[in-house]
Amino acid sequence: MAEILLKDVVKNYGKLEVVHGINLFIEHNEFVVLVGPSGCGKSTTLRMIAGLEDITGGEISIGGTVVNDFAPRKRDISMVFQNYALYPHMSVRENLGFGLKIAKQPKDVIEERVNEAAVILNIEDLMDRTPAELSGGQRQRVAMGRAIVRHPQVFLFDEPLSNLDAKLRVQMRTEIKRLHQKVKTTIVYVTHDQVEAMTMADRIVVMKDGHIEQVGSPLEVFERPVDTFVASFIGSPPMNLIPGEVVMRDGRLHVAFNADQSVPVPASLADKTTEGQKVIFGFRADDLMPDGHAVPIMGEASGLRLTVDIAEPLGTETLLFCQFAGVDIQAKMYNPRMVKPGEVMDFKCALDKTHLFDAASGKSLRG
Amino acid sequence: MSIVSVQPRRKSRRDWTPALLLSPAFLVLIFVVLVPLLFSLYTSFTNYRLIRPDSLYEWIGLRNYQRIFTDSKFWAAFGRTIIFLTLALNLEFIFGLGIALLINKITWGQRTLRTIMMFPMMFSPILVGYQFKFIFNDNIGLLNNALQSLGIGDGAIAWLVDKPLGMFTIIFAEVWMSTSVFAILLLAGLFAMPRDPLEAAKVDGCNSWQVFRHITLPFLMPFAFIAMTIRSLDVARAYDIVDVMTGGGPANRTELLWTMIARVGYDNSRMGQANAMAYVSILLSIAFTYYFFTKLIAARKYMGGAE
Amino acid sequence: MASKTKKQIGKVANWILTFVLMLVIGLPGLWVVLTAFRPNREILAKPAIWIPEKLSLDNFGKIFGYGVDQIAIPVPSYFANSLIISLTSTAIALLIGMSGGYAFARFRFKRKNGYFLALMLSRTVPGIALSLPIFMVWSRLGLIDTKMGMIIIYVALNIPFTIWLIDGFFRQIPKEMSEAAQVDGCTRWQAFWKIEFPLAKSGVASAGIFAFLTSWNEYALASQLTRSTDSKTLPVGLMDFTAQFTIDWAGMSAMAVIIIVPALILTFLVQKHLIAGLTFGGVKG
Ligand SMILES: Nc1ncnc2c1ncn2[C@@H]1O[C@H](COP(=O)(O)OP(=O)(O)OP(=O)(O)O)[C@@H](O)[C@H]1O
Ligand SMILES: [Mg+2]
Repeated sequence: MAEILLKDVVKNYGKLEVVHGINLFIEHNEFVVLVGPSGCGKSTTLRMIAGLEDITGGEISIGGTVVNDFAPRKRDISMVFQNYALYPHMSVRENLGFGLKIAKQPKDVIEERVNEAAVILNIEDLMDRTPAELSGGQRQRVAMGRAIVRHPQVFLFDEPLSNLDAKLRVQMRTEIKRLHQKVKTTIVYVTHDQVEAMTMADRIVVMKDGHIEQVGSPLEVFERPVDTFVASFIGSPPMNLIPGEVVMRDGRLHVAFNADQSVPVPASLADKTTEGQKVIFGFRADDLMPDGHAVPIMGEASGLRLTVDIAEPLGTETLLFCQFAGVDIQAKMYNPRMVKPGEVMDFKCALDKTHLFDAASGKSLRG
Repeated sequence: MSIVSVQPRRKSRRDWTPALLLSPAFLVLIFVVLVPLLFSLYTSFTNYRLIRPDSLYEWIGLRNYQRIFTDSKFWAAFGRTIIFLTLALNLEFIFGLGIALLINKITWGQRTLRTIMMFPMMFSPILVGYQFKFIFNDNIGLLNNALQSLGIGDGAIAWLVDKPLGMFTIIFAEVWMSTSVFAILLLAGLFAMPRDPLEAAKVDGCNSWQVFRHITLPFLMPFAFIAMTIRSLDVARAYDIVDVMTGGGPANRTELLWTMIARVGYDNSRMGQANAMAYVSILLSIAFTYYFFTKLIAARKYMGGAE
Repeated sequence: MASKTKKQIGKVANWILTFVLMLVIGLPGLWVVLTAFRPNREILAKPAIWIPEKLSLDNFGKIFGYGVDQIAIPVPSYFANSLIISLTSTAIALLIGMSGGYAFARFRFKRKNGYFLALMLSRTVPGIALSLPIFMVWSRLGLIDTKMGMIIIYVALNIPFTIWLIDGFFRQIPKEMSEAAQVDGCTRWQAFWKIEFPLAKSGVASAGIFAFLTSWNEYALASQLTRSTDSKTLPVGLMDFTAQFTIDWAGMSAMAVIIIVPALILTFLVQKHLIAGLTFGGVKG
């Protein structure tokens, strides 16, 4: 069993603290993705799990054993690096078999496992080439092959797809997913691409500035972001966030953006907020649609009249960029038709799916 | 989710590996360089002479330094050394740059040229000295023989003896030996030079001199500083050349600081005084190296390669 | 049309310049080599004899103690001393240099630039200036005129530059290589020998050749610290050919050839790596 436990894990580089006490439990066979903006400490955390960086404080255990002082080779892990780190002076076959050779496995075992990995990753034809003779995607595959031949308890990936072109990235995404289903091990995967995180993870860990902001399944993180940072980081396009104030209008709490623009506070949030509170009103582009749209809105809706600045047709949907209360926001339209810039349209906002965040702390009021 | 840790944090252990890895190097250097230098610093305050071992304990304070600083021969040698270094390093840079630009233009046979260019760098300075002593020899030297056969001059130019010519020949030998360091590194710089800024400058209307002056040369400077630093590490190997070619003579016309140290220390066996001079020469070398090294560090920052 | 001729003139000028350049670089050495195969009579002839009448190996035979007229200079033992001293000191300097270069390339520590500068500055001490105190210390330790004494000095002489070069070569190898190997089950030691060392091998080899040549060519220290056939090296031995007023040009040239040839061969072998190492170590701090 290879569950991973991080307890108050801290990392200092000299006097600079870059990871500030992380707590995280990763279950056996779980696919966990660490995601966050550049420099937030994802790689550092992963490298501490791998044993490539000393742990300044706290505890990391793998499979129930505290591994703080274990060298990487004692942790029964394997890792795929961003630039693959294939050994340039060895053939693909030797690259794959290297770890087993170091572990002094018998020749026939090595050969069997290497071939098995080659079949899984579909690289049988490349076995006698050197890394220099491979394309980016092939190198990526060899790097994964090198990780799987040793049948480790845990796989660690550090942005393994960021050097690939967009198309290959999508393809490798599914391959890694498939690989996970085949080999059944715990995977910790680092990326700064939230689409990768959404599509691959069992659970997403959103990090910022050396802290964990939120942990949850992709849908949880998408639908119930704990704060404005997660709300704007996860999902594409990012959530629309408009600052306002809670006021009483017509006997009901509204979020007022200025003297004449306001939306009612959804019923589910009415008791979580009070009059006069400064808030940030958030909703996704999918939840703001032109009135009379083919997709019906569930629950309560609020009408808005907006001027479209730019329309970006994406095929099945069109992204509409509008101004609302001085903020740029986006709406989605699924009825394909040409929209002219400057056109005034009526929109409906699905109130039940909107979010309210406290303006001062950025925390979600849904709690 | 993230809880501020209240647990006492384990002090991160200091990693002793780099210290361990570097210790053999420093131990050897302390034993071979630092300790002897401290010893010689001590003797530079004594009246130590090789032939009288007990003179090692004759403390005479700063008298050795006083003596050399009031000695006009010492100052002449010191000045000559500075002139020698300044001329040699500048000529090496200019010729090196010229050669690098020249070879960079040539496409056919470039590798061979580069290899040939590197040979002088590998010559023993003593051989360089011998080689030019032979070639500049007034009686049977290649140069005088050639001039004679061509009917130029009366044939017996005393290259190594004549006053300005003596200096000229040792500088010539030094430049011959060391220009390749500059040429090689500047050529490497030219190879590493990105094309875009060159083309951008051309589009912006620079003529080829302006392109060279404002784009190529600034890019090459760090490479020149590497060469300068490498060279300044071992400037004193000119001693070998001079020792073979003229031995500092005749009548001290080619005497440099280093040949003077050898004469005073070994031939006159005044170790204390020689050590005082040696300290001056060491400070001179350190000053040169330090100057170029800091330039190199600054240039590196500018190139964005520094940690 | 005009610019075409201009271009061609430029090209011709380039070639002429290159030719002159190669002549200046190559001719002195070639002249010495040629002299090594000529009899003294021809070398000293006045007016000069430009076309050699006969080339022979007599001069070499002479200095190695064969042939009719032998020379009283024990060149074979100088050669052996040079070889032993250079090879041993190179091997030791390489080991120490690899260890130090690796430390600079792979670890972060305080005052790194300072330590590096200190190393380099130790190299700047002029050989002749260093020879005085070493002479005094060595004579107390009984190391004067021993191979051991010279080996220790040359190790020290070679360490700074070896570290500089090797540091550059290790830096070229991504850190992830060794990390991947450690994750694959290697100790740091194994990762070094199985991954990083094989990748830096050619660079280390050229650093070694550089160190060898430094020892092989060194004169200032050896000339003061060696006396006899026990430890005298070739460059020092070269001066044996100069008596007070006469110089044995033929013998000296032959000996020069013996010193040059290994240097030339080795230079040829390393030139490519050497340039890479120097620039890399220097530019990428
Ligand atoms: N060796 C180091 N010394 C000092 N600071 C470091 C070191 N390595 C990383 N850092 C700092 O630690 C922080 C976290 O770095 P880390 O590499 O974990 O970020 P990341 O989340 O992986 O970012 P990216 O997406 O860019 O890879 C950064 O602010 C970085 O500047
Ligand atoms: Mg990272």
